[in-house]
Amino acid sequence: MRNICLKNVSKTKNGHVIFDNISLEIPSGEFFALLGPSGCGKTTLLRLIAGLEKVDSGRIFLGNVDITNEPVHKRKINVVFQNYALFPHLSVFDNVAYSLLIQKKAKDEISYKVRKLLKAFHLEEHIFKKPSELSGGQQQRVAIARAIVSEPEVLLLDEPLAALDFKLREKLLIELIDLQDKLLTTFVYVTHDQFEALTVADHMAIMNTGGKVAQIGTPKEIYEFPNSTFVAQFVGNTNIFDGNLVVEDGETKFEVPDLGTFIVSPPHNSTLFSQKEAVMSIRPEKIFISKKPVENFTNTLKGSVSSIVYTGRSTLYEVVLKNRIKVQVFEQNEEHFPQETIDYDDEVYLSWQKENIVLLEG
Amino acid sequence: MSEALSSQLSLHVKKEKNQSSFWKRVKKEFPFAIGSTPFIWQLFFFYLPLFFLITSSVIKLSQAGHFETFTLEHFRTIFTPTYFHVIKNSLSLAFFTTSICLIIGFPLAYSIVFHGGRLKSLLLFLLIIPFWTNFILHIYAWFFVLEKHGFINSLLLSTGLISDPIQFLNSYFSIYLMMVYFYLPFMVLPIFSSLERFDHSLLEASLDLGANKRQTLRRILIPVSMNAIKSGIYLVFIPSFGEFVIPELMGGAKDLFIGNVISLFVMDYHTAPIGIAFTVISVVALLLSLIVLQFGLKQVTKLLIGGTSWAKS
Repeated sequence: MRNICLKNVSKTKNGHVIFDNISLEIPSGEFFALLGPSGCGKTTLLRLIAGLEKVDSGRIFLGNVDITNEPVHKRKINVVFQNYALFPHLSVFDNVAYSLLIQKKAKDEISYKVRKLLKAFHLEEHIFKKPSELSGGQQQRVAIARAIVSEPEVLLLDEPLAALDFKLREKLLIELIDLQDKLLTTFVYVTHDQFEALTVADHMAIMNTGGKVAQIGTPKEIYEFPNSTFVAQFVGNTNIFDGNLVVEDGETKFEVPDLGTFIVSPPHNSTLFSQKEAVMSIRPEKIFISKKPVENFTNTLKGSVSSIVYTGRSTLYEVVLKNRIKVQVFEQNEEHFPQETIDYDDEVYLSWQKENIVLLEG
Repeated sequence: MSEALSSQLSLHVKKEKNQSSFWKRVKKEFPFAIGSTPFIWQLFFFYLPLFFLITSSVIKLSQAGHFETFTLEHFRTIFTPTYFHVIKNSLSLAFFTTSICLIIGFPLAYSIVFHGGRLKSLLLFLLIIPFWTNFILHIYAWFFVLEKHGFINSLLLSTGLISDPIQFLNSYFSIYLMMVYFYLPFMVLPIFSSLERFDHSLLEASLDLGANKRQTLRRILIPVSMNAIKSGIYLVFIPSFGEFVIPELMGGAKDLFIGNVISLFVMDYHTAPIGIAFTVISVVALLLSLIVLQFGLKQVTKLLIGGTSWAKS
């Protein structure tokens, strides 16, 4: 098993700089997600790894081997394309057998491998159908089967579920995770959908517009401890307060103009103290909402409810604070008959613990 | 006011309902009616003339031009090796013209689409420009290029490559040169438009799965654009089978082609029924060769893909 390593890679396309000196290491045998907004260059990065496009400068390594100049058909890296790119003139069997036929494997071996894989993918009934006769989910499975039948070292998935509906997407995500667990092939999953990335990834990289890697970590690290406002806002929802850090009576506090000061834990990044502007980020589900003041919380704020969005599992409240800033709060709908019902324009108390705050550079 | 409006509306809805049920009935009881317009067109301009053609090849007319009897006499007249030789000439003219057009046309369309870049539409435009002038004018223009003291010969003579002018005209060379010159766009255009729409990710997927460029061309690009290649082949094969202006003018009428023979019987000898009988035989020959062609192309496609029919057992 070899990891993928990009070193100082730059790429310009049609006069646009996609990457300027990007470096990234993708650990072997993992499910790795590349998450970023549309147009951040994540698909180009994937195409560079696959060899479908050439780098302008920099090197790409697979383990210790420099594969920068290796042509695409020689790389043991396969791609699942966004539009599946199934060969329309070939049957499901021939599509999946394609790479084995090219390698001139024995008929028995091809037949055995393809049939086994198609059975595992619940496609045995459709083995001699043309791709156009299959549903979207089935086509997706054929595309994955075609890419893994030759046992590549790395499987690159380019927004593979973008065209499918939500329920099917959830199901296929679980299947993909199981598949990766079984094969232990390195999976690189490119997506703009944070839900998909958080679900599948062992590690993930967040890319910012302009081809910069903003943060790398486990989904939990990324979600709970984002290192920038961009990551905090791009992965999940969050409430952002602009202000500055102060130390009062030996306690670290965060001062928000026109709102008040809040008790926070001292940040890991001590340079935040010297900066004039900092940001306090708190996730909506980490705030407790109630009509009466509650004890045992480090911070409490008052506000009035301006909107309520019921989504079944949870309810999203929007609360206007006294400085006109809106705060989002998620509350689990744990009971059929909650003790207190919160309605529009109700005066509410928002409370949270200081450990749940993330302090970031402004 | 609103009541009147609503009653009017409901009336309108009722009307529409009636109409739709009327069309439903028409569709149900006369399913043919919907497609009748093109059928009528075909009937008058295709089937009816064909019917007249075939019938007039099997009837004998009296001196006064009245129907006398049914006969196969006209067919018997031309059912000789000489005329089969003529059909063979035409078939081989069509076959070689099509082959040369395909050999030149596919790479041409390919390079315009995949390597043409910004010049793509200009290159296609240049291909079509010759069609703006009359065909006969082209042939005369080529006379000046190919004749004994024409452009090419004087060029070759002046460079000293040859000492005597080459006889270009009245040869198979000039026939095929003109045939390819004239029919090449018919091959290139359908292939061009198919390659233009070709999903690039299929080529990328093939390369990604380990196939090199040659294998990708063979197994993916050509088979997927086979329908366009077929239409190109038919667009060249069918008319060049009946072509007689080019061989007549460029070949010096040394060899006879079906067009020459038909025109001889109909125009020169005033024996139209024999000419028509020959036309019918030619059409049958064309149909048969198209069936063979279709079958052959199917086999070629199978061969290119390298199918896995063994997998079904």
